[in-house]
Amino acid sequence: MTKNNGGSKAYRIICVVVLIALAILFLFPLYWILTGSLKTPNAISSPIPQWWPQEFTLRNFEVLFSKRSAPLFEIGSLVGPTVPGAIRWLINTVFMAVMAMLLTCLTASMAGYALAKKRFTGRGIVFSLIVAAMALPKQVILIPLIREMSSLGMYDNIWAVILPTVGWPFGVFLMKQFAEGIPGEMLEAARIDGANELRTFTTVVYPMIKPGVGALAIFTFINSWNDYFLQLIMLTSSSNLTISLGIATMQAENSTDYGLIMAGAALAAVPIIVVFLIFQKYFTKGITMGAVKG
Amino acid sequence: MKQTMSPRLRRRENISGYLFLLPSLVFFLGFVVYPMVSCIYLSFTDANMDANTPTKWIWFANYVELWQDEVFLKGLWNTIIIVLVSVPVVCIFSLWVASAIHKMKEGPLSFFRIVFYLPVITGSVAVTVVWKWMYNNYYGIFNYLLKGVGVIDKNINWLGDPKYALACIILILLTTSVGQPIVLYVSALSNVDQSLVEAAEVDGATNTQVFWKIRWPQIMPTTLYILVITTINSFQCFALIQLLTSGGPNYATETIMYYIYYTAFKLYRFGYGNAMGVVLAIFIAILSAIQFRMAKEK
Amino acid sequence: MKKVLALILAFCMIFALTACGSKTPASTESAAPSGGTEITLWTYPIGNWGDEKTVKALTDAFTAETGIKVTVEYLTYKDGDDKVNTAITAKKTPDLVMEGPERLVSNWGANGHMVDISDLFDDTDKKEINAAALAACFNADGKAYEYPLVMTAHCMAVNYNAFVEAGADQYINKETHTWTTEQFLKAVDALYAKYGDTVGAVFCNGQGGDQGTRALVNNLYGGTFTNAEHTAYTWDDAKNIKALKTLYDQNGIAYDASIVGGDEIANFYNGIFKMAFCWNIAQQLNPNSAGNGAGKTANGDEIVFMAFPSEDGTAKLQGGIWGFGIFDNGDAAKIEASKKFIKYMCDSAKTVDAVRASNFFAARSAAEGTDLSKVWADNEVMNEYTKLMPMLGDYYQVTTNWATARTAWWNMLQKVGASDGSEAAITAAVNEFCGQANGK
Repeated sequence: MTKNNGGSKAYRIICVVVLIALAILFLFPLYWILTGSLKTPNAISSPIPQWWPQEFTLRNFEVLFSKRSAPLFEIGSLVGPTVPGAIRWLINTVFMAVMAMLLTCLTASMAGYALAKKRFTGRGIVFSLIVAAMALPKQVILIPLIREMSSLGMYDNIWAVILPTVGWPFGVFLMKQFAEGIPGEMLEAARIDGANELRTFTTVVYPMIKPGVGALAIFTFINSWNDYFLQLIMLTSSSNLTISLGIATMQAENSTDYGLIMAGAALAAVPIIVVFLIFQKYFTKGITMGAVKG
Repeated sequence: MKQTMSPRLRRRENISGYLFLLPSLVFFLGFVVYPMVSCIYLSFTDANMDANTPTKWIWFANYVELWQDEVFLKGLWNTIIIVLVSVPVVCIFSLWVASAIHKMKEGPLSFFRIVFYLPVITGSVAVTVVWKWMYNNYYGIFNYLLKGVGVIDKNINWLGDPKYALACIILILLTTSVGQPIVLYVSALSNVDQSLVEAAEVDGATNTQVFWKIRWPQIMPTTLYILVITTINSFQCFALIQLLTSGGPNYATETIMYYIYYTAFKLYRFGYGNAMGVVLAIFIAILSAIQFRMAKEK
Repeated sequence: MKKVLALILAFCMIFALTACGSKTPASTESAAPSGGTEITLWTYPIGNWGDEKTVKALTDAFTAETGIKVTVEYLTYKDGDDKVNTAITAKKTPDLVMEGPERLVSNWGANGHMVDISDLFDDTDKKEINAAALAACFNADGKAYEYPLVMTAHCMAVNYNAFVEAGADQYINKETHTWTTEQFLKAVDALYAKYGDTVGAVFCNGQGGDQGTRALVNNLYGGTFTNAEHTAYTWDDAKNIKALKTLYDQNGIAYDASIVGGDEIANFYNGIFKMAFCWNIAQQLNPNSAGNGAGKTANGDEIVFMAFPSEDGTAKLQGGIWGFGIFDNGDAAKIEASKKFIKYMCDSAKTVDAVRASNFFAARSAAEGTDLSKVWADNEVMNEYTKLMPMLGDYYQVTTNWATARTAWWNMLQKVGASDGSEAAITAAVNEFCGQANGK
């Protein structure tokens, strides 16, 4: 609650002080990851923390890059040069997040439009199903999903992570909320002009729901990047891991070599943070849009 | 909305509706509904990892056992606690931060927005491992700081002590949950009709009154939306448990989501794990339905 | 901005199109040159069998000789079991797995996922292989699910410099590597008086290193873990309860539910703990991350390995046996190739290298004419370690229901650690989980 009359100055100052303290608290883990990745093992396990590394070392990154190796890419029978596993994991992760994002946006915007504007039979049932499944944790279908992916021949393949992400109905729900806002008259007009359904969708509907698609793209990208659970149960071979899974594995292997683990964490976090900072405006706009309509 | 439709139009609506729905429906039915159905099916069997004995149909035996399983009940309890604590705290905290920053200039405003959003971006695994280090019993920063200011005189084993472990997990969950609600509240608050606020102030309304009478109703839709996403988020804290405590110590951080995984891969009881999944799914579906009703009514 | 996006998109599209085509990548089946089969091996970090470079040298030599390609994945003790179990659920197990009978025989073998390899053991093999290791690889029906490569006795370790500083070195016999329960407790007291912190930890977060905590508890007052027939768990006897209570009451010993065996070792290396219960010869030989040589902590303190303390000073050590097993994927060619791999690593002139990579003792005296008892003849530490080998106790990890029992053991330690430490509370926890292990 902000106040704009005179007596609130003290309150405002307190607010700012508290906010700054909170900001430090929220920034600290990231700071600790970045500096930790450059500390020596002794500095890491010292009971008196080194707020700033007294001695910088690249040892953690060296270990990180030499520990596991994997081919840079495997396309059909074409196998790329062997590179540090961590690089391949990053490529896998980017690929996974981008594919999940594209497919989700495409399917969800179409379905959202249909649910909002088309009066077809069974619409209510489909929508109820979607609402009921929206918050479902993936742990519930752990076993059946593994078995299904295995019989589809997709176990230990990045697609086994992408497809269920696309199937998660939150996106459809979000897009429906956006599509509700399209005035019926515009659709009517397009129809009278003789535009077919696909044309109506691309020229009338899509421009209207574009901000929503942006929001959904951002959500899906971040969520699939961070969806550790699906990755954990679906991917096993070291050339198919994602970066999150890679760090988790390293964590299991050298559970107290925090320097090494922080190097991995830095490698996982920095690219997506950079992307975030570049697209920061769109991020906040997208998120906000999503809510106002929803 | 049209009151009547010609049969031709009706057919056209049906066909085009389904065609637009189809791509999404394929994924939804294939990777959510179908596994859910086989999950229900498996929950009535004693499916396990033993390849030597055939799977038996055992009706409701798994479900009966659930309510006698102390670990399951503990997990259910912990799950409820996580939701009950994190949802209101996230809402209140983010509303406070948002109301404190939404009138700032663009520079500081986006600084704070980014800062609170960063833990979301950093990723659950990276965040988890750094907190694990900070919580460390022997050289973690928390013990050092708290000892330094004299709050504690002996190192506390944060994640190894049943008294603190769950609270520690919830704290991490909170830092990764407030980012989005803050952004949402900031924009909701800036969209509040300023003339109403001014009018009320002229009438001599106190700030508290202005907030509850004018701002609060206008940000209500945002609050409901935040409730929904935060609830979903709280149910997803699997990585934290799996990487930090594995449900321990002494089941202090056991949640249903982790216990399903544990039952499947440590106890090898697939059928039993699926029964748990079904119970959780019903629980969540009811919760979603309630929240959705609420949203509809407003 | 748009250009960047377009580039990323294009990249992903290409990748997508091609990734679909690589759904059955060269590494699984087909596409291999005629005659050459491809097999996958999943290995736990058994000495240097967890190190990519070492293992690659071994498998490359094997491929050069046989034309069989081996893809290796490296598991960890913390999440390896989960990974294998997930793969079993998905019916996508590797062809070969390297671990001990406790997993291969009494878990995956007992659950019907392994191939019976008893035909690999001929009469010479049966004579050459250590009797205990041989017995552990077979189940009650005479089926073999593991072919042993190496073995050792698990022990504990102390930070000798710290012991000297605290005046606790008088309680250990550096010559025989043994001590009594009384000496152990006095040593902990002395260390606690000197350093005032956790001297050693009963780690109980989970998976990995369980043999250390079991051996510690069993040896203190002569308790047992299972009966001699390996049909039931007996860790609920009064001697074990007394040991658990002693450890609970002892200043300087903590039940730590936030760490696993690996953390304990790391904390020992870092000088935080003055003793480690999760130790063996491979640890002793392993030059740690600080890079100042084997047998030294990070700041250069001397590490001395010790038998677990017992009332009369003669411990019963837990054996570790490691070897290979074959998962039943129904592909005869792969099973054949896997058997060749096992023969090559465990029973050929090349076995020496495979044994050396593990940092453990060979599980057999000779392989195809090569004398394996002298593999480590030039290694002083190894020679010293042979002093512990006669203390090797019963290999009980093949008792029925082992996977459940191991999980129950962790949960019990956590419950004991979280209890008020009264005899009644400890007894209740022990009874509950020992009962679970016995299937009650």
